[in-house]
Amino acid sequence: MILFSIPKLPSAAGLLPALLVVGSAAVAQAPEPTAQVIAIPPLATVKITDTDAGTTWGLANQIANLISADLKLSSKFIFADIQKVRIPSYPEVTAPSYPQWRSVGAKLLLQGFVNARADGRLTIGCYLYDVQSGRELARQGFAVSTGEWRRAAHKCADMAYQKATGNAPLFDSRIAYVAESGGEDALVKRIAVMDFDGANHTWLSSGDSTVLTPKLSPGGDRIAYTSFSGGKLHVQVAEIGSNGDRPLLPASDETFGPAFSPNGDTIAFSMSNAGNVDLYAVGAKGGFPQRLTTSTAIDTSPSYSPNGRSIAFVSDRSGRPEIYVMNADGTDQRRISFGPGDYGSPAWSPAGDKIAFMRTQGPLSRIGVMSVDGADERLVTNGPSDAEPAWSPDGSRVLFQRFDSASRRTMLATVPATGGEVKPVPTPQGGSDPSWSERQE
Amino acid sequence: MKCKSVLLVAIAIATTATAANAQFRLPVIFPLGRSSPQPSAQPPAAAVPGTVTQGALVAASGTDTIYFSASGATLDPTATATLAAQARWLLANPYATVRLEGHGGPNDSRDYALAIGDRRANAVRDFLVLQGVAPQRVTVLSWGKERPGKVLIGQTLVAAGPRVVTIVVPSPAPMPMPMPTPAR
Repeated sequence: MILFSIPKLPSAAGLLPALLVVGSAAVAQAPEPTAQVIAIPPLATVKITDTDAGTTWGLANQIANLISADLKLSSKFIFADIQKVRIPSYPEVTAPSYPQWRSVGAKLLLQGFVNARADGRLTIGCYLYDVQSGRELARQGFAVSTGEWRRAAHKCADMAYQKATGNAPLFDSRIAYVAESGGEDALVKRIAVMDFDGANHTWLSSGDSTVLTPKLSPGGDRIAYTSFSGGKLHVQVAEIGSNGDRPLLPASDETFGPAFSPNGDTIAFSMSNAGNVDLYAVGAKGGFPQRLTTSTAIDTSPSYSPNGRSIAFVSDRSGRPEIYVMNADGTDQRRISFGPGDYGSPAWSPAGDKIAFMRTQGPLSRIGVMSVDGADERLVTNGPSDAEPAWSPDGSRVLFQRFDSASRRTMLATVPATGGEVKPVPTPQGGSDPSWSERQE
Repeated sequence: MKCKSVLLVAIAIATTATAANAQFRLPVIFPLGRSSPQPSAQPPAAAVPGTVTQGALVAASGTDTIYFSASGATLDPTATATLAAQARWLLANPYATVRLEGHGGPNDSRDYALAIGDRRANAVRDFLVLQGVAPQRVTVLSWGKERPGKVLIGQTLVAAGPRVVTIVVPSPAPMPMPMPTPAR
């Protein structure tokens, strides 16, 4: 996908006849009090052209629907009723008729165009306007292959989401997880990756050997994971989109539990040396590992802070597994968790101010969030078997695995980072060990 | 009428009593305290000298599995007794190698289960090496909580939990020795 800036509306040659929009009026189910009213009419097209993904007019509607579906998930928007509104013609994409959008109560207007290119690709542009002041807030354009139009739509939704809420982007993102099939006693585990909305789902490993804890690289192009292939516990690094899949280290002791640094250049992981598990860091392309911890206790589950300067991890040096924080070079190790029960799987938030974790008391395990100094600890799920938290790229939600006692399967679900309604994340099979990352490239 | 029903009851009691006498059934007796795993379904193959099999190890040392407390990795007296017997078997069968498979508990986090399974397996390895088993004959693998396992205690299946299982790895005998013929 190529990003380009739009100087002005390209080749405004033909005028589309004004059409009435049918049936895309939808109201978000539970918008927040600060939600803004947005109007999202179908995109315009300079000429209705057949492409590999259908006509450009069909795509124009599909893209607008996908943008709406994305923004609806955030519950930060209320959708203006645009049934009675004339949908924008092609020249109107850059010169909206503000009075008609004011008449439906819209504060924001997201519209755009989709055109077929001579090389078989698509040009998709989108524009965000402040209807009240009659001002353009943002614009973005993309040249994509016909199979990638969903990414352009997600990017447009991200543009509106960022401008309206100030949050980091969320919708052009991927989730990697472990797909679980087979019975409880003979689980087959495979690495799977999908768009955050479940589209473009693919399996990356065959299920011949057990695989665990896939971690997406910050750009979403690589996955580091733990594998039992060859009868040995070790960290592998796979490239999405090619068949690249190699061990992180050549023959070594048992390694597991990888974590990418925020720039994607370094991977922290656990390595066992004669029964003593410590944290190490190594270049993502390989190299000589640098030892970060030297305690005789277990040190595992690293998670980098977004500025790359600190690492949260789990250690049982106090006798029970607790969460610790240290500098990325291993200095200044300090304990931050002091609540009851056993702590595990810390995950540093994208904004850098919170750490999500799992906490187990007896048979009950739940997801919690605390500040990076251990203050303001708060459990955000009720269990009974919630584990392995991962942040959404914008930091608004926590993705985790939950054992569903009805289906006897482990499934993925999200919860707002401040607590609230748990929403299931549909996957074709059972799912565990999630990781969520915004795409770049 | 009343007489008849009393008689019927009397007969009923008599018949049940004779039936009970005929096949007196003992209650199922559960061992209290630490539960030992059910012996493997097929009785362990008789320990034929020279055979290096899982069955031979189990026959010689009672069990191939050592259990741990929920968060511990220390060997209790039961465990050390079993492992001492395993070590004797290993010393008596110098061509046997073993893989120690450590397991974490179902409520541990994914990474911590791998770490503590590794710690448990290494505790067993250290003990075997102290008993005189050559270190290169013992390899270690942690399964974390990926192979939860079930144990039959009485009639109920119970999660096996934190444990280390000693797996005999078949290895070819060195050339000068004739290959042992499997006992049939």
